[in-house]
Amino acid sequence: MNKLIMFHGQECPHCRRMMPLVAALEKETGIVIEKLEVWHNEQNADLMRSYRPVIAAGCGGQLRVPTFFNTETSDLMCGEVEYETLKEWASR
Amino acid sequence: MSAGGNPPVKKYWRCFVCNDVHYGVKPPGICPTCLARNAYVLISAAEALKICRPDAAMGKEEFLEAIRAFAEGNEFEVNPDPEKAATLLEGIFNNEANHGLKYCPCRLRTKDFDEDLKIICPCNFLIHETYKGLENGECWCGLFVRRSR
Repeated sequence: MNKLIMFHGQECPHCRRMMPLVAALEKETGIVIEKLEVWHNEQNADLMRSYRPVIAAGCGGQLRVPTFFNTETSDLMCGEVEYETLKEWASR
Repeated sequence: MSAGGNPPVKKYWRCFVCNDVHYGVKPPGICPTCLARNAYVLISAAEALKICRPDAAMGKEEFLEAIRAFAEGNEFEVNPDPEKAATLLEGIFNNEANHGLKYCPCRLRTKDFDEDLKIICPCNFLIHETYKGLENGECWCGLFVRRSR
């Protein structure tokens, strides 16, 4: 089953700006995106690191936040995106 | 990069006149602090850390002054948005307190020491795709932005 994750950082301004968009998307579509903070939660950080080969390959060689990641398909986006782009990713 | 492709090994060097410490492949020919010539001697990392006063703390204001001074004369500046800069400084200092170094709040450390050196703030963002060649370029987190003209 597809699981959609948003890896984010508590003090990351880009992540903060994406939060309302994620909330709006969840409300509009019913899609659930699990929000995992990675700088203050080592368990979440380790989970993100476990996907490092895939995430780094798609995000400039690094583990950047925010990263939107589909655990089933490895489909991912990193950085701030427009609402429609986020919706398109979540609906694939 | 050496001919074999391996990165050169950096070592610690101490000026025998003024105790200036240099970390690099070679010692400086002239000490930038006291101007003594051929004054550097190879020392251990442990010795260098003691000489460099690991107890000397740096607060957010001092760090902000330091990166503003660093940006002066360069093509970039510290983000003029005070709220954004404050959020990022909070993250940078939380990361230093929790994880040992001023890691970028918008990237995660990998736990590979050499790899994680690349995300200490300020990082070498001039080569990043979010900055290089872009009129409104900025580092990944946005603490540094191309200077407005």
